[in-house]
Amino acid sequence: MSEPVKTVALKIDGQAVSVPAGTNVLEAAKTIGVDISYFCYHPGLSSPAVCRQCLVEVKGSPKLVPSCYTPVAENMEVFTTSEKTLVARQQMLEFTLVNHPVDCPICDKAGECNLQRQYQSWDSEPSRIDEDKVHKPKMVDLGPTIVLDSERCILCTRCIRVCDEVAGEHQLEMAWRGDREQLTTAPGHVLDNPYSLNTVDVCPVGALTAKDFRFQMRVWELYTTDGICTGCATGCNVEIQHAQGRVQRLVPRENEAVNKFWMCDDGRLTYHELAKNRLGGARVSGAPKSIELAIAEAASLIKSAGPGLTVILDAQSTNEDNYAIAKLAHKLGATTAYLSRRAPDPSKADKILRDADQNPNSKGARAIAEAVFGSANVKPVDDFDGAGLLVAIVLGGHVSAETAERIGKVKTIFISPFGGVLADAATVVLPQAAWAELNGTYTNRQGLVQRSRAALEPPGVARPAHELAALLAKKLNTTWEYATWKSLLKELKDTVPAFAAAEAGRERPLVQLRFAHSRG
Amino acid sequence: MSQKALDRAKQILGAIITSSHAHAGDETVVVETAKIHQVLKTLRDDGEIPFDFLVDLTAVDYLGRPQDQARYEVVYHLRSMKTGCRLRVKALLEDPDDAGTIPVISTVTDLWKGADWFEREVWDLYGIKFEGHKDLRRILMYEEFIGHPLRKDYPKEKRQPLIRRDPNDV
Amino acid sequence: MRERKKMVLGVKDLIDYADDPEADDELPTEPMKVNMGPSHPATHGTVRIVLTVEGETVRDADVQVGYLHRCFEKESEYATYTQVFPYTDRLNYVSPMLNNVGYALCVEKALGIVDKVPERAQYIRTIVGEMSRIADHMTCCAAGAMELGAMTIFFWAVKGREWIWELLEEISGARLTHSYVRIGGVSYDLPPSLPERLRALFPKIEAILKDLTDATLENKIFRDRMDGTGVISQADAVSYGWTGPTLRSTGIAYDVRAAHPYLLYDRFDFEIPVGSKGDNFDRYIVRIDEIRQSIRILKQALDQIAPGPVVIDDPRIVLPPKQAVYNTIEGMIGHFKLIVDGIKVPAGEVYSHTEGGNGELGFYLVSDGTGRPYRLRVRPPCFAIVSALGQLIKDAPLADIVPTFDMMNMIGGECDR
Repeated sequence: MSEPVKTVALKIDGQAVSVPAGTNVLEAAKTIGVDISYFCYHPGLSSPAVCRQCLVEVKGSPKLVPSCYTPVAENMEVFTTSEKTLVARQQMLEFTLVNHPVDCPICDKAGECNLQRQYQSWDSEPSRIDEDKVHKPKMVDLGPTIVLDSERCILCTRCIRVCDEVAGEHQLEMAWRGDREQLTTAPGHVLDNPYSLNTVDVCPVGALTAKDFRFQMRVWELYTTDGICTGCATGCNVEIQHAQGRVQRLVPRENEAVNKFWMCDDGRLTYHELAKNRLGGARVSGAPKSIELAIAEAASLIKSAGPGLTVILDAQSTNEDNYAIAKLAHKLGATTAYLSRRAPDPSKADKILRDADQNPNSKGARAIAEAVFGSANVKPVDDFDGAGLLVAIVLGGHVSAETAERIGKVKTIFISPFGGVLADAATVVLPQAAWAELNGTYTNRQGLVQRSRAALEPPGVARPAHELAALLAKKLNTTWEYATWKSLLKELKDTVPAFAAAEAGRERPLVQLRFAHSRG
Repeated sequence: MSQKALDRAKQILGAIITSSHAHAGDETVVVETAKIHQVLKTLRDDGEIPFDFLVDLTAVDYLGRPQDQARYEVVYHLRSMKTGCRLRVKALLEDPDDAGTIPVISTVTDLWKGADWFEREVWDLYGIKFEGHKDLRRILMYEEFIGHPLRKDYPKEKRQPLIRRDPNDV
Repeated sequence: MRERKKMVLGVKDLIDYADDPEADDELPTEPMKVNMGPSHPATHGTVRIVLTVEGETVRDADVQVGYLHRCFEKESEYATYTQVFPYTDRLNYVSPMLNNVGYALCVEKALGIVDKVPERAQYIRTIVGEMSRIADHMTCCAAGAMELGAMTIFFWAVKGREWIWELLEEISGARLTHSYVRIGGVSYDLPPSLPERLRALFPKIEAILKDLTDATLENKIFRDRMDGTGVISQADAVSYGWTGPTLRSTGIAYDVRAAHPYLLYDRFDFEIPVGSKGDNFDRYIVRIDEIRQSIRILKQALDQIAPGPVVIDDPRIVLPPKQAVYNTIEGMIGHFKLIVDGIKVPAGEVYSHTEGGNGELGFYLVSDGTGRPYRLRVRPPCFAIVSALGQLIKDAPLADIVPTFDMMNMIGGECDR
């Protein structure tokens, strides 16, 4: 299918390396674990070779060569730790630090700062100057999401290239020259593209800081858990970074197939909803009750419904949650299923990352509903008409106001992390764990089944919907052979073609950022 | 630690040694886990460099190493009172399942009396069983404790209130 | 005939004591389980010994340690290399400098800078280490004597210990939890007046030792309780992993300072006192003699020490001076990274051994290349020693537990970590 890639053989530090043609020397060195310092280069962006930090010695070349820009050549010999290279590296860092403000104690980037890391690894010389540093504006409002500190900026231009190449909008520029050079917004523009917060990720220092995260938490206190963004059907891979029982921020994880190195601003801010309007306890007819009583009440409701039972599945919940509820309802006599989801937003669709479908698991929920009930019996929730129905198990419940009214005409068992109109109208409310609090998978728009991991403990007695299904099954004396979410996924994998490539993945111990190396 | 010790060990143990290395002046041999008792007995009773002193017996948890590499290493530090040579002997132990099969290795309490408490400590803190140990019970943690705290997947901040219960009732 | 009350002793009923012709000869001796609980006036350190006694003889003993377990090894996996120093203070807390030094040597071995540590720093480490050792041995001997009834001796010895602690407080800022040593050297230089004040102490300490020995060496009560009790053979001592004064009491002259010289011990002239019988008295007298040898080493160290830097000159290991930290970005970054990330130690494993107060104090370090230890194991000398306690007190009178246990010098912080 693909043509054989032409490989080039070269030597780096005496070691033979073979890489595809077109690879730059820096990436070639990475393949054998050789670390070359760099600031302006980024694997997801073009390389302008402006920072000169990646200079290496190449045999036969009188001058040092920027390794991020130079493609490999046959029989090239590269020396990344020769005297010339090390001196150049150290001196380049010295130049970069000449006007850098002594801001580490108040800078957000401290702990994940490339400049700090490179200095410590490659240059440990003390300062040689005693002059006053150049002063530039320190709290520039670049747009609705970003604050610029010009003194910290090392002029690498990564942010400009992110806006140009990833977001496709030219909103940032460098102004002036020499040691007065500063980042500024392009004439007539502000930094307001929907991918603006990626500039904070790529900025090697603390020049660009997110208003959302500024001064919130020191990064080495953060724990990081791998998750999937639930903002839209793209399913960007994220790291849920949390501390003190709360999510503090979301940052993108590299995934060549889905989101490369980026994510959109809306997705980054989805963590705010985790703290709002949460259901922590169960309710029966509006009154708070213990979960055991609520389960008992729900069980008796389901029993009384008989064939008048239906289920509304949710494109916001994981595959396992959906499957558990669907299976349970099906076992207990339901014959129809409805699919609810957050309303699509065509204004958000772009060819970059964002999708009009604002749900992480539309494909998965549909595949599960069709597999369990048959595609003829699956309808969108807006078609809900209540005829012949007595009880509905509602998962998630993202519905329009009028649909909510129609749903309100039957007795509902409402399972969701968030309260709202449907929660108030429901007969039994069971609290569900939200996306950052459970382990499960989502099927994105490409059909990839991606694993999300639990970062926090759910509030109160909230738990994943599949655990609630297990409790209901036990109460109703129905056999329930799914002990863990992994067994649900396994059955999906074995029986439904859409999940044939799904993998649960191994469990991992919690990682605190101070044990990981600096990002970027 | 000296090169002499490593050479002698290689000489008397031969192929039982699966790998060896020297780092920062320490010599280490990694041996087949099933033969650890034989290895240590041979080293202890050797005529030329008798490693008659068991300095330390401990374990390391390498959770996070790639799947094909063992999770635990049981580490023995030996010293020869006669020549002063030191040697580190390591045995690798698998933990094949995510969910707690207990790794087992042969005891050396019949070779050294001091191994008794060292092995109890490794059982207590790592959950590695020593086959043949007459009294393998917890030594540092209290009896009702659940779990093995020095394992990498036991979170440091985890709280376990001491509740009086039958220690055998897990 | 007087009415005799029914007495139930053990499980035998004494119905008519007076009529039993053999009744006067023996008291019933059913084995009885007695708890010498973790809190006991005669045990130093929290240890529980579940004894099975028959009359006054111990038939079985289950020694239970772990009451002072504070997960040193787990905590050190979460701390940077420098942050581990306060934890090491609390290992053998009667001679904390020796633990500091032992740990620093271990990390320096992993870094490969053992011979790059400045000479003055090595002398200082030796000096404070030997001062700590003197304090440790004096505490042990004094406490041991006190448990046998010689309360005065305890007060004499802790008076001497106080003088040492005063000096250590001036050097490091704390009497017991010094955290004085750093990777690459020590944290600050000695106070200028220290050498002469330390020298002034030597005759005073010798005088206390003389008082100690005068009061105990020919004291019948002391000798009777210490001689021939808690005897261990050389073979058993080696098998149990005994090191330090307790091993030397059996006659084996193994001292890490002489067998594997570290710091500058090969420049000093000192002897290794050994006992002959391996009993409690030998352990006592070996410790007293070791104090004298420590004083000898101290005198030589004080003679040889010369001015110089007290910490290695490597910005990747040592914090930059505060002037630079507050005023230059380079200093700020260097300080920041060393504090947050820690000193990066190359990946690998090392085992480093020093002579602690109780014997071979070993640190086994597994490093993964980051600034925090992946695994830090302490080989505690008294853990191996106390493991033999069960054997030593078996078939011996109950009263022998006290001198045996005391002369082992079990320090809870080290045994349990």
